[in-house]
Amino acid sequence: MRKYTVKRILTSVFTLLVILLVLFILMQLMPGSPFNDEKLNDSQREVLYAKYGLDQPVVVQFFRYVGNMLRGDLGVSYKISRNTPISQLIQTRLPISLFIGGFAVTIGAVLGLILGLIAALKHDTIWDSLATIISVIGVSVPSYVFALALSYTLGFRLQWFPMLYNVQKAMGSSVLPSISLSMFTMASIARFTRTEMLEVLNSDYMLLAESKGVSGPALIFRHALRNALIPIITVLAPLVVDLMTGSLVVEKIFAIPGVGSLLVNAIQSNDYNVVISLSFIYSALYIIIMLVVDILYGVIDPRIRLAKKGE
Amino acid sequence: MKKAVAALLTVSALAVGVVGLSAAAEASDLNIMLETPVESLDPQIATDGTSFEVIADFTDGLMQMDADGKAVEALAESYEVSEDGCTYTFHLRDASWSNGDPVTANDFVFAWQRAVDPDVASEYSYMLSDIGQVVNAAEIIAGEKDKSELGVTAIDDKTLEVKLNVPVSYFLSLMYFPTFYPVNQAFFESVGDTFGTSPETTLSNGAFIMDTYEPAATAFHLTKNDSYWDAARVQLAGLNYQVIQDSQQALMSYQSGALDMTLVNGEQVDQVKEDPEFQTIGAGYLWYVSPNMDGVPELANLNIRLAMTNAINRVSITEDVLKDGSIPTYTAVPLQFAAGPDGSDFSGDQSLYLDVCADDAAKAAEYWAAGLEELGISELSLDMVVDADDAPQKVAQVLKEQWETTLPGLTVNLVIEPKKQRVEDMQNGDFQLGLTRWGPDYADPMTYLGMWITGNNNNYGLWSNEEFDAIIDECTTGDLCTDAEGRWARLYDAQKIVMDEAVIYPLYTQANAEMMSSAVTGVEFHPVALNRVYKNAAKAE
Repeated sequence: MRKYTVKRILTSVFTLLVILLVLFILMQLMPGSPFNDEKLNDSQREVLYAKYGLDQPVVVQFFRYVGNMLRGDLGVSYKISRNTPISQLIQTRLPISLFIGGFAVTIGAVLGLILGLIAALKHDTIWDSLATIISVIGVSVPSYVFALALSYTLGFRLQWFPMLYNVQKAMGSSVLPSISLSMFTMASIARFTRTEMLEVLNSDYMLLAESKGVSGPALIFRHALRNALIPIITVLAPLVVDLMTGSLVVEKIFAIPGVGSLLVNAIQSNDYNVVISLSFIYSALYIIIMLVVDILYGVIDPRIRLAKKGE
Repeated sequence: MKKAVAALLTVSALAVGVVGLSAAAEASDLNIMLETPVESLDPQIATDGTSFEVIADFTDGLMQMDADGKAVEALAESYEVSEDGCTYTFHLRDASWSNGDPVTANDFVFAWQRAVDPDVASEYSYMLSDIGQVVNAAEIIAGEKDKSELGVTAIDDKTLEVKLNVPVSYFLSLMYFPTFYPVNQAFFESVGDTFGTSPETTLSNGAFIMDTYEPAATAFHLTKNDSYWDAARVQLAGLNYQVIQDSQQALMSYQSGALDMTLVNGEQVDQVKEDPEFQTIGAGYLWYVSPNMDGVPELANLNIRLAMTNAINRVSITEDVLKDGSIPTYTAVPLQFAAGPDGSDFSGDQSLYLDVCADDAAKAAEYWAAGLEELGISELSLDMVVDADDAPQKVAQVLKEQWETTLPGLTVNLVIEPKKQRVEDMQNGDFQLGLTRWGPDYADPMTYLGMWITGNNNNYGLWSNEEFDAIIDECTTGDLCTDAEGRWARLYDAQKIVMDEAVIYPLYTQANAEMMSSAVTGVEFHPVALNRVYKNAAKAE
């Protein structure tokens, strides 16, 4: 198990380096530059390029960037917040995004499980159809549509929650964005839970457990759900990542001072350092999540754990 | 399940204790919507309208704008101009920074030297060199001279002398442009690179003081500065800014009372235009089509260009498509931003060039026939590069229709690109027609006409006309610099050449559609430099 984990971590680090290089190349392919404002003349542009080292060959820029990054220096913003260190920009924003993302995953996972369980247990009834309809809507409607709809109904009409993020009321103003983001997760989890539960419920060991006299919640939760959970955890990881990309637009809608809205603004203004740093952080998060899930998978499913041991 | 969701929502609402909207601040704060975050609070680094507006909330320059956009004294109590128009002497009033330091002439010297310092790499350094004509500014920017040689001197703490290469008729109006705002040297050096990134690293000498802010903040607040030299004039307790990048959210926030002012986009106008709080405000931007006369032989033909500009129905574009109060424009200089020596709008009279530029399909067809004959062709296909934003795409679609209907044999293909790509293509001459816009940097027609001189960066069509160049030269560095009326008249001559030659096809002067609460009075809107000024604003309880 340890050998496996170490190998996975090393692969992850290598992957991150490759991602960084790809990001650098992509930046070069992006049209324009942070300084192609119509009002600048060529000599001014040269001065700006020189100041930020953008006149150097890409390879030099890449290794300099990696070097600086290892020392914890992510560079400064060229455009969206001129000359501000990226680390300072991210410092207050990352926790906000992570909080809202975490909130959304929690809501999505819990509601999805409940919905999936209801659908499976009340198989082929009106409840099942209802759960399926909700799932289909959740999967097919993009999160920003939910964001706008929730903002209009619960925010503007009913005034239950703030329409815009407010640092002083972080919890309350995170509710609408988190729900908007959680819909896809909820729907996917519900669908998986339903399928897995139906399979497990029809399996022989469930029949055995039932015939041994196990019944009620114990039967459902200890025997059925626990076995159904394994595949669900694997799908949860990519869902978390979907959630991060969804958050780009949702953060913009709710004026959330998170990294998602920052990334959108940075891309639109060719703010290379900000785009690279944030994309890198997103990639790192993705890889970490996948890593954790892989390891977790082994913990939950003894077959995998044992198989690795046998290696 | 629905019930369960509803119940869960109710419970969380109660648990969190949120009722109503949280964005509403204290009663007499003005709640303002911004479309984009502030890019920089450093006056010599900032380049965008949002940053300029906020910097001017807490910083005064030598001059400020009055309600009509005229330059009136701010930190300068008085000034003298030498007879040759090349030396300005400003006498500063007693004013202080929010840390108690007095505002001195050296604060300006320090700031202006930063603006031209190649190490600082200010994007707006050309405001001092090309536009302001401050002695040695161009040489310092080019790295040929030291910044200490800039033509600005602190004679004493309260006297600032500025030397110009040539008289600049609009020089005083540049003094309210943030690039020329003072910076307290000792404070700047004490905070180093963090200057302008938080309330602690920001110093005020203006109407308000920054009290919450972080880089690229989506919400921040300023409080009235009680030690402001003109504090008696400021009636608001503070300014509460909220960045909202989604227009539906912005309008709903306004309607719920969380905002006092917000922008409205073209699609929302129909929904709110009957509302007495709806208004349109001139933005000074000119939208136009630039034909590439150098790269496309057919567009080098004057009749073809005249046909195209006359085939446009500008009224239909502003009234049926944009609906935001934008004004159809038939001059190369847009309306509402440059007032002449007698105070009238340079482009107030839109009928000056109707013989060559009008919404006139019949005349367009005549020019078109003549042009095709001269070229010996019967069909023409042209590509037009267009920004991938909402309004430009819609306008381009209408232009295409109008051209193809009125001018038989013409096909126009729209090439939709991100703005950056479009700008790059036009800068490289890699286009046939380009839909573009230009905003004024200072309140003088030269900010537009100056673009059409031979070799100018923004003269994308590479048009060149000796007579035109000579007039512009005369008005910039020649004898006319000291003769305001004479210069003004010559600028019309220059504009006539641009229009006669159809160097550009002007479309409209952009306006912004806004909602502003009826409780709010005294907000001043300007198309140049500072788009909104709140020093005179008040909000009824």
